[in-house]
This record gives sequence, structure tokens and C-alpha cells, in this order.
Amino acid sequence: MSSPLRTLVDWLDNRTGVRGLLHEALYERVPGGARWRYVWGSTLVIAFVSQMITGTFLWMAYSPSTQTAWESVFYIQYEMTGGWLLRGLHHYMAHAMVVLLAIHFAQVVWDGAYRAPRELNFVIGVALMLVVFGLSLTGYLLPWDQKGYWATSVGTNLASQAPVVGPEFKKLAIGGVDYGHHTLTRFLALHAGVLPGLLIALLVPHIALFRRHGLHAREPLKGPDAMFWPDQLLKDSIAALGVVAAVFVLAIYGGGAELTAPADPANPYNAARPEWYFLFLFQFLKWFPGELEVWGAFVIPGVIVTTLFLMPWIGRTRGGHLFNVGLLVILLGGVVLLTAQAVRDDYFAAWYERTEANAHKFDASQAFLDAEKNAEREAERVIELARSPEKIPPTGALSLMAQDPYLQGPKLFAQNCAGCHTHVDRSDGADSTHNMDGKSATAPNLFGLGTREWVAAILDPDQVADADHFGYQESPFAEGTMVDWVQSTVPDLDQEHVDQVVAALAAESASSGNRVNERGVDKQKIAAGFQLIKEEIGCTDCHKFHEVNNEGGAPDLTGYMSRDWLMDFIRNPSSERFYGEYNDRMPAFAPHDNPQLNQLDDQTLGLIVDWLRGD
Amino acid sequence: MKDKSKPDLVNKTVSWNRRTFFEMLTAVVAGTVAIATPFVVGVVSFLSPLFKKNSNPQVRIALLSQIPDDGMPRSFPVVTDHVDAWTKYPEQRVGSVYLVRNQGAAKPIAFTAKCPHAGCFIGYKPGDELFRCPCHTSAFNLDGTRERGDAEVAPRDMDRLPVELRTVESTDDNGPTEVWIEFIDFQTGHKEAISTV
Ligand code: HEC
Ligand code: HEC
Repeated sequence: MSSPLRTLVDWLDNRTGVRGLLHEALYERVPGGARWRYVWGSTLVIAFVSQMITGTFLWMAYSPSTQTAWESVFYIQYEMTGGWLLRGLHHYMAHAMVVLLAIHFAQVVWDGAYRAPRELNFVIGVALMLVVFGLSLTGYLLPWDQKGYWATSVGTNLASQAPVVGPEFKKLAIGGVDYGHHTLTRFLALHAGVLPGLLIALLVPHIALFRRHGLHAREPLKGPDAMFWPDQLLKDSIAALGVVAAVFVLAIYGGGAELTAPADPANPYNAARPEWYFLFLFQFLKWFPGELEVWGAFVIPGVIVTTLFLMPWIGRTRGGHLFNVGLLVILLGGVVLLTAQAVRDDYFAAWYERTEANAHKFDASQAFLDAEKNAEREAERVIELARSPEKIPPTGALSLMAQDPYLQGPKLFAQNCAGCHTHVDRSDGADSTHNMDGKSATAPNLFGLGTREWVAAILDPDQVADADHFGYQESPFAEGTMVDWVQSTVPDLDQEHVDQVVAALAAESASSGNRVNERGVDKQKIAAGFQLIKEEIGCTDCHKFHEVNNEGGAPDLTGYMSRDWLMDFIRNPSSERFYGEYNDRMPAFAPHDNPQLNQLDDQTLGLIVDWLRGD
Repeated sequence: MKDKSKPDLVNKTVSWNRRTFFEMLTAVVAGTVAIATPFVVGVVSFLSPLFKKNSNPQVRIALLSQIPDDGMPRSFPVVTDHVDAWTKYPEQRVGSVYLVRNQGAAKPIAFTAKCPHAGCFIGYKPGDELFRCPCHTSAFNLDGTRERGDAEVAPRDMDRLPVELRTVESTDDNGPTEVWIEFIDFQTGHKEAISTV
């Protein structure tokens, strides 16, 4: 060592005793020499340190409130340089910690390393394990996305069932009766302050006691005793690097951690599941219906955790030790089995055929898979919106979603229209999910309304009276004027004329709203069709079209299926402009001038219309 | 290394007498108070959710004409002002309800969509003859009773909410009838329905 450095170290040592400390840290005796099986404890420490580092940096960009939590995590994930990797490392390292904990714990029990004088240290270890679980529970909520929100709310609802103090406990944990700002502030304080503090407060004596008792060597010893430095330290470091590398690969492979759509208390996330390492608990609870739940959620887990704490005393005798090892095997085996079962239940519909016998299971699984797919779609969409130049409004990303036709349209359609209408794309034969089972439709299929295909179908003698158009169940129009006219007159028309009419009527739909105006492309065809409809082909014998035939008698075709036309139509299809007294069962959704009296407000209507039109 | 020889000072015993006893007592009390004061103040503010009073909102859900008496559940959002700590959200969706009007019934029945088991959202697909909870696969008949009774995971039937019909004031005395409910948030997991408020 060069002498200025030596002087500095001497100076430091003089005041702090650093040499002695370092010496003590490095020259720990390792009975039988360094071995790979001694690395697990150290890897856990490294994993925790890594979590503190990534966590602190995440914290610097995180904002705990219901309008900013998801938004700030979104920003970390998609806008900050390497933010996705930072999240990914934190996320997967949390998983790694659970795995490492399981290994460390299993090894200690297996080797009987809890025996005197190490009982207390074992107890501290079990407590540490609980703190780590607490950290992953609280961390799951912080992104405030659908997945974390609903899974955590299931969790806290369970907690509220705890005997006596349950409801109060829940209120304190979430900072009120409902989830809100204070749930986030509290969870963050727990996750980033209280629990890590507790963990350190337990980890220090854990390591100190470990040092005091020395390493619990596994017989038979493989060689002569050695010092911790350099052999074991080298092995520990390599193992730590291996863990970090594995987590790194996972984080890159997973593209960071998942971020589902922002939490929406009014919008169920039916695929809410806890993290995979808690799935077993989730599955376990299914065994305890109704009031028995207390057993599944508290009594049995409570007994098991208490037994874990007591293991050192149970394990004093040979039989006791065997009992502990047996319990360990049963617990780990049970966890694996339950987890597998939970996964199988969820993905049942993807792996098996539906039969009479498994119908219940199949449907539940199908519901899960649908919800998962839908959630993915939602997440993709809202992230796309948030990344657009519009960015996120001050009210948060949830209002972005609430005003998006693509997301709200299908839901509103399912709520208000799907009782009668279908919305099925016949071209690929796929049934979309927001239909009332497809078969029983009692109103036209609204897919692709106003497009050329749509208009062409109405003017096609073979299609006009089919179930997707005027031939829906019990339709009074199946043998009505229009069907009659199409079937008797259209076959005699020149096909070229029909095409022109189709083009012209479809072009009407672009007269308001965002639909691409085809006028520029097929100018002549459309102009010819326009003329045909207006004057020559006879449509205006019955229909109003622009200024021709103001009497009506049949629905107005001016601006047919344009945004304005549709809005007016849905507001009141029974108006003289549309079906008048011939209206079948299509309800008037907003016939009144006073919005209070209407079933749907203009904004909602607009969302449905924009979605139907594909704007 | 382990047994460092301790300095003599520590090993010197203190002779016990009344004075040292009071000294010690005072030290303990003073120290405890010093640490407990900030702690207690913190805990009190931490407990504040327990002291807050809340009430259940009355919410207009739909027009009666939107619920034909065909016994089929229809899902409606519950829209009301929602206050979350310092933020007031006007007209927020705070939950959702199913309204079912059986044949000939004047009033619909209102079920909250929150599952009595663990608070998940109970789903309903138009045309189905069961409500289904996606989380732990509880299923309920259209009258809210559990499909498999006590064998179901859910501890009780779906929770009903009080329904009130109100006629809207209008000039011709013919205003539409509205369906209002009291939106109660029930505790989950118990056999009895207990409000969280
Ligand atoms: C003999 C009178 C008559 C003629 C001629 C006629 N229609 Fe119709 N049309 C109707 C009636 C009436 C309806 C409403 C459905 C019914 O009652 O059958 C209708 C419905 C329609 C609809 C569906 C409206 C909606 O609500 O979606 C379209 C589109 C349509 N007609 C287009 C045309 C076109 C284009 C022509 C000319 C090529 C035409 N019609 C000629 C009477 C007529
Ligand atoms: C009670 C059943 C029912 C409900 C609910 C309903 N409709 Fe209709 N709808 C009909 C029927 C029947 C027709 C056929 C024309 C008519 O009678 O007005 C129709 C026609 C239409 C048309 C004209 C398309 C055509 O082919 O002529 C549009 C557009 C439409 N509905 C949109 C909607 C939307 C959007 C909703 C939901 C907000 C909705 N409908 C809800 C029954 C219903």
C-alpha cells in the first residue's frame, strides 16, 4: 500500500477501528471450507440491497395519489430512459427474493440449523420472511393498475374478515372506507419506509447472531476449515451476480414489469389474481366456503406460522426434527400443488374441451380468459392514448379512458343495445363478445354500419331480409316496404347503377364525424349515384334525400349513418324523420330536451356512435 | 475476538439506595414520555379514518321505463359525487347495480354488484340464468340467492339495496318515474350483511 493511503487508513482506523471491523467481517471461520450451499443467505442480502437501490430510484419518480400513481408509473415505464428496466429489475427481484427465501428456509429446516443456540435467530428469520411478504403485498398495489387494485382489494377485504378487529384493521390499512389517495400514501409509507426499516432492524441482529454462532456447517465436512475471505466471499459474490443476471434476463425478456389499465373502482377486473407466489393461498381459500373462510384465511395460516416460529423447540428431539422436515415437505408440496391447481383452473378453457360435466369450471375459466384478454386490450389502448401527443389530462388517465369510444363503446353497447342488436363481423366469422349469445338477436346487426358493404347488403335482394338486416327475429320489416321494393325492383336494375347508389349512400356517412370521405376517390361514381338516388331510381318515392321529398314516409337518407344522423336516430327513432309510427321496438334513448329525463346523455351517445362508426 | 475484555467502568456496580431508585424511575419516565409524545400524536392522526363519519348516498339509477318487467337483470352504473380525501369527483361511477323487475312488479329489485364474499364484481351476461363472480366462482340465481346454497364460497346471498321510485316533477303531471337506491357498501365475508359505514 502506498504510504499516503496507508496514512489515511491509519487515521481512519485510529478513530473508527475500521481495520478490526473489516478483519472481523472477512476472517470468519468456515468449517470444512467454502461451499456453494452456504451462499443463499448472502444472495438474499444482495437481493434486498438491490431492491433498496431500484426502489429508491423508483421512489424518485413515483407520486402516490389516485390521479398520479398510475400516471407516474406509466411515465417511468414508457418515457424515462431505462425506466422499464428499472421497474423490471425491481419487479423480478421481488420474485427472486421469494424463491431465495424458500430455498434458504428449506435448507435451514432440512439441516436442523435452528437448534440451540440458534433458536432466536431462526425466529428472527421467520419474522423476516413475513416482512418480505408484507413488502410484496404492499408493492403490488402501488402502480394503481387494475391488476394490483383488484387483487389487493380482495386481499384487504379478506383481512377485514379477521375476527374482532378486522373491519377496523382494514380501515386503517386503506386509510378510510374506500380505496383512495390515503390507501396509496399509506401503502407507500409501509412499502418504502416502515417495512424496509423493520427489515433492516431484523436483518442486523440476524446477521450479528449468525456471526456470533458461526456458520452451521453441513456434515460431512468436505475439507479443512477455511476463512470466509477469500473463498466463500468469492462464491457468494458469484451467486449474487448469478441472481442479478437471472433477474436482468427476466426483466429484459418481460419488457419490464406489466402495467395494466389504471385502477377503476367501477370497472371490475375479472382476472384479478395475486402474484403467483400467493396463488396457493387464493386457491386454498376456495376450499372454505362461507363462514368457514375464517379457517382458511386466518386460523390455519395462523397455526402454520406459529408452528414455524416454534420449530426450533419442536426440533429438539430427533422425532421433532423429523416432524419439522415432514411439515416443510408437506407445506412446499402443498404450495406447489395448489399453485398448479389454481393455474389449471384459470386456463382450463384454453386446455380442455367443454363437456356437460365440467361446464361450471369451463365457464369460470372462460370468463377469466376473456377478462384477461379484455384487460390486455384496455391496457394497450390506454397506453396508446397516454403516449399520444394529447398526453394525460390533469384528471388522470382514467378520464382518458372514460372518453374513449374504442374502450367505452363495446361496454355501453353491451349495456344498452346488445339486448336486441348484435355487432358481429361476418367477414371473419368471429363472434364478438358483447353480444347476447348471437343467436337470439331481435334487431339488425350493427357491424360496419354505413359502409359500402352495409349499404350493398340492404340493396341486395338476398341479404336485405336476412337475420343481420331486416330479417331479424319477428321483424315487421321482413316483409315490409323496403324489403319488398328491393326484392321486386333491384334485380331489374343495372348492376352498375346499383354500385353507384351504394357508393353514394355510403359516402353520406362521411358528411359528419371522422369517417374518411370517399368522395375524393370515386368522385364520378358517387356523383352519378347521388343523382340516381335523388331523381332517377325511385328511392325518393318514399325516402327523403337532401332537398327532395320532404314528406318522408321512410327514413331520411340525407347524411345516412353519419354521426349526426345516427345521434338523431338513436335519440328518437320514432321521430317522423326516421321510422315514425312504424318504429319496431327500438327505444328512444334521448327524446327529451331536458337531459335529466333521458336515458343516455349526449356524451354517452357520442361514444356509442363513434365506436359503431369506427371513428 | 468475541469476548472483548470490557472496560472496568461497566463492571462497577452501583450501590442501590432510594436515591438511585428515583433517579432510575425519573430517567425511565422522562425517556418514555420524550419518545411517546411524537409517537402518540402520530398514531392519533394515523387512526383518523376510524373517527370519520360516513353516510350512504341516495343515487338515481335509471328511469323505470328502462327496466321492463321481464325478470332479466340489467346492469347500471352507480353515479354519484365521490369524495376521496381532498378530491371531490363530481358524478363518479362508484359501483354498479343490477336491477331486476319481475313480471307484474311495480318496483325493481336492486342488487349491488359487489360480491359478498371478497368484494369482486359479480358479472352477468345477458341471457344467462346465473350471476357469476369471476374471482372465486360463486354463482347466484337471478333472485340473488346462491346457486348452491351454503356450499357456495359466498357466505350470503347477493346484497339487496333499498329501492325508491320517484316521479319527476313536470308540467303535465306525467313525468317519468325514476329509480333511486340507497347505495350501501356492505362488509364482505360475513353471513349477515353489515354496512361498512
Ligand atoms: C317503396 C318505398 C321505398 C323505396 C322506393 C325505397 N325505400 Fe328504402 N325504405 C323504405 C321503408 C319503408 C324503409 C323502412 C323499413 C321498412 O319499413 O321496410 C326503408 C329503409 C331503408 C333503409 C334502412 C334505413 C335504416 O334505418 O337503416 C335504407 C338504407 C334504405 N331504405 C335505402 C333505400 C334506397 C337506397 C333506395 C333506393 C335505391 C330505397 N331505400 C328505396 C321504403 C322505400
Ligand atoms: C328493444 C330493442 C332495441 C334496443 C335496446 C336497441 N335497438 Fe336499435 N333497433 C331496434 C330495432 C327493432 C331496429 C329496426 C328499426 C326500428 O324499428 O327502428 C333498430 C334499428 C337500429 C338502427 C338502424 C339500423 C338499421 O339497420 O336500420 C340503429 C343505428 C340502431 N338501432 C342503433 C341502436 C343503438 C346504438 C342502440 C343502443 C344505444 C340500440 N339500437 C338499441 C331495436 C333495438
